[in-house]
Amino acid sequence: MGWFSWSSDTNTASDGGRIAPDRTSREQCYQGRDMFFSCLDRNDILDAIKDDKEARRKCGKEIAEFETACSRAWVKYFKEKRVMEYNRDKTIERIKKEDAAQVQDLKAQGWSSR
Amino acid sequence: MASSMRPMARLLARASRTTLVPTIERTAPRTALSSIRTTTSTLSNLRAGNNGIRSFSTSPLCLRARTMGQMKARHSTGPFSWKAALLFVLTGGGMIIYFRVEKERLERKRIAEMSKGVGKPKVGGPFTLKDLNGKEFTAEDLKGKYAFVYFGFTHCPDICPDELDKMAEIIDKVKEATKGENIFLPVFITCDPVRDTPEVLRAYLKEFHPGIIGLTGTYDEVKHVCKQYRVYFSTPRDIKPGEDYLVDHSIYFYLMDPDNDFVECIGRQDTPETATRTIMEHINDWKREGKPLKKD
Repeated sequence: MGWFSWSSDTNTASDGGRIAPDRTSREQCYQGRDMFFSCLDRNDILDAIKDDKEARRKCGKEIAEFETACSRAWVKYFKEKRVMEYNRDKTIERIKKEDAAQVQDLKAQGWSSR
Repeated sequence: MASSMRPMARLLARASRTTLVPTIERTAPRTALSSIRTTTSTLSNLRAGNNGIRSFSTSPLCLRARTMGQMKARHSTGPFSWKAALLFVLTGGGMIIYFRVEKERLERKRIAEMSKGVGKPKVGGPFTLKDLNGKEFTAEDLKGKYAFVYFGFTHCPDICPDELDKMAEIIDKVKEATKGENIFLPVFITCDPVRDTPEVLRAYLKEFHPGIIGLTGTYDEVKHVCKQYRVYFSTPRDIKPGEDYLVDHSIYFYLMDPDNDFVECIGRQDTPETATRTIMEHINDWKREGKPLKKD
């Protein structure tokens, strides 16, 4: 579990390079990721790195599939990206709300946008 | 002098006509009945002498109203007719469009010129890499065409593949817009030369677009070109074989003009359509100025 097929010797190019996932395996990885993340959503888990144990207990099948379909670096990247995007969206939402509140406040004081 | 005197004289004549009429009319009520008759006759004489033209009219003779109907029509609309209005709107609209287009062109030109001459932001510069056939490829090889440079690595999880799909669309759209002229050079430079050997790169890029030129080099060569393009380079130098890692890198496309000067960045926010529009604007500006392009 967690070992990615393309890092083995069979996926080394003849000139010594390492073959990256092609379109099909990328697609498989994205699918595995989406399945795992929707399971996390259902169980209210945000950070699959911090809450690794819980994630593995509740989404054991999904995480196994995710980790087979994607390389270790990608798995880590997507888990981190999930947290980052969540925080980003929350920040944007907060700023929007604060903005709206400020506009309301200013309008109450008789200020108009035009 | 004489020529300028003539319109003056005409003006004076006109002014006296306009002042003459009201004075007669004003004096009329105060004079006796007999004199009224004389004033009316002088009035009618005056009118006859003027051919019934309102004295303040400046229209040339040919445009003067001939019948009462025409006179009434002109009186109700004044000097404004639908022809005048149409001319006004068309001229105005034309001017607005012209100024807007010209303003945009100058703005682009300003951006493009910004990377030339003194105080230019130095993006891009000399480098030596190898193409996928092992042939040396330098910055000189980018000259004569608009180059579209992207940095990435084949083990990139999600952003590079998305951006490369976009690049493929842009290549086709630009090709279409330039009617197949070979003046656009899409280039992919790997930030991860250890894993991305020519063979790996060729197989990877083929999945996106056969026209993309893949470039790779030694660790130091790649580090140098990244520095030239101000690309953040974080590839670890000593990696154990089989070790898995990601590379952080900038995710911009760099548009370089045929002098190999930096023109503009195309980023994540651009769609293939907006990117193609930006690129075509620069290509067309370049052509309009009659600057050379290598089409072979």
